[in-house]
Amino acid sequence: MSGSIEVRGLTRTFHTTVRRPGFGGALRSLVNPERVAKQAVCDITFDVAAGELLALLGPNGAGKSTTIKMLTGILTPTSGEARVAGVVPYRERERNARNIGAVFGQRTQLWWDLPVRESFAILRDIYEVPNVEHAARLREFDDLLDLSSFWDTRVRHLSLGQRVRSDLAAALLHDPPVVFLDEPTIGMDVVVKEQVREFLRNQVEERGRTVLLTTHDMTEVERLAERVVLINHGRLVLDGTLGEIRRRFGSTWQVRATLADPHAVLGPLPGIALVRREGPQVVFGPDGSGAPTVHQALKAVIERYEVSDIAIDEADLEDVMRAAYVHAEAG
Amino acid sequence: MSWRALRIMWRITRLNFRAQLEYRAEFLMDIAIGAIWQVSVIVFATVLLTRFTGMGGWDSSDVLLIPATRMLAHGLFVLFLGRMHGLGRSIQEGRIDAYLLRPLPVYRQVQLEFFPTNAIGDLTVAVGLTVGALGRSHLDWTAGRIAYLVAAIVGGMLLEAALFTVVACGSLRFPAADYWGRWLEELLGTFGSYPLNVLPRAVGGFLTYGLPLAFVAYFPAAVLTGHGHTTGAPYWLAAASPLLGVGAYLGARLLWRWSLGHYTGVNG
Repeated sequence: MSGSIEVRGLTRTFHTTVRRPGFGGALRSLVNPERVAKQAVCDITFDVAAGELLALLGPNGAGKSTTIKMLTGILTPTSGEARVAGVVPYRERERNARNIGAVFGQRTQLWWDLPVRESFAILRDIYEVPNVEHAARLREFDDLLDLSSFWDTRVRHLSLGQRVRSDLAAALLHDPPVVFLDEPTIGMDVVVKEQVREFLRNQVEERGRTVLLTTHDMTEVERLAERVVLINHGRLVLDGTLGEIRRRFGSTWQVRATLADPHAVLGPLPGIALVRREGPQVVFGPDGSGAPTVHQALKAVIERYEVSDIAIDEADLEDVMRAAYVHAEAG
Repeated sequence: MSWRALRIMWRITRLNFRAQLEYRAEFLMDIAIGAIWQVSVIVFATVLLTRFTGMGGWDSSDVLLIPATRMLAHGLFVLFLGRMHGLGRSIQEGRIDAYLLRPLPVYRQVQLEFFPTNAIGDLTVAVGLTVGALGRSHLDWTAGRIAYLVAAIVGGMLLEAALFTVVACGSLRFPAADYWGRWLEELLGTFGSYPLNVLPRAVGGFLTYGLPLAFVAYFPAAVLTGHGHTTGAPYWLAAASPLLGVGAYLGARLLWRWSLGHYTGVNG
């Protein structure tokens, strides 16, 4: 079964009541409510190939979770189409549920009062997983997520990290080709985060699962995703590889050089601006939208001036995404 | 429903029950609360039997059949279908979203959320009351009458489930609709145990055609005890109470299906 995801013009509109300010406004809203349509997701189109891990990014309220809810069959889109592993999720919810696994970091899908292992056994029955396969998969997940140290504990007594690891295992026990992860590592400590990332990388590389991940953690994106889709105010504003996005928005580099001649006169370099000079110490940065890459700038500085020392500072992904968000907001 | 589905339901129920058993004090308290909750009905039955010879033209032993039928129907409702009550909270906590991710009907998953320990208390009181009511009854309990009583209890359970399912449908859109569920529960508890002909005609009419409370226990008891022609409703309608319960439940399930298709989520 192909685990691809196809999204075409997906739109979800919610109708809400406008809240007027003050007590009088609240009374007026009660008597004469003003309804407005709010497009949480607007005409989004993208694909995720089978075996690909795509990061769906955007600021809070951008429409990421609504998009995932439509792709998992929780919500029906107002218009547009989506296919997940060949199934239209909101038309064939139960069939789609067999093809997908989903983890919503902030809430569990396990039985609150039951030990984790009992929840796994119930899921085995629900998804009709043969006993031998179930046991083998449980062993594999235990090796990767260290589940056996707490799987006889009731879900309500688990720590956040233990609970999300259990949720991850529960979401994948039926071997779904497609996995949706909505902020899976939110609130976790760095050790557990790394364990979860390693698990996800294993599931994509070794098991060939398709993963759609939303997160605000750029380290996670950098470690896991090759491609990123950025949405803002419900609209898709960017779809590209991390390299492309860095090239487009990551031009916040700085080249720090120590000139061999502290009194050297600095002439113009195309696309490169002098940011600061203190004696022989000079700092160059990008000048305008046509600025060269950091490596081109480095080459240009070395070719033009005699330098005794040189270093570069590149923007990290967090800065790049911030620049992309600002660009999206302005656009 | 397939054999496999029944097996899964049994397994989950068994595990949920075992989970409740592990908290001994909580478990016993839940049973006690289930029984104490019915204290008004027990007081009513005691007063009826010790102070009055009858009510609204009904002999007291006949009247006793009404709370007995209602309580049994209610106890079974709490045991099998009662988790629709209070669904608004599940919606606000996002649990419905989790149910929508599993290849099982959402309605069934809601019912399997936890084991309703208080139903044990409800049913214990209900069975005791029914045994008492049948013991005092002057009726000849033929196979036909017993079958009708069983059908009435099942119909009453389904009717109560239908009412709370309709409220749950409202909760899918407006979680605050849960408050209507509390009001409904209060109403069923307050008026479900009386012959409704003692109430003003307008109130009786509302509890028959507005909120079909009369069909849960009053009409079936009237038909069984020979008061079927004095209820103010057509005899055939009163006699068809068990069928009405089935019909109402099926209708409520259709409404649930439609409402779930229009579910907009917690933030919608």
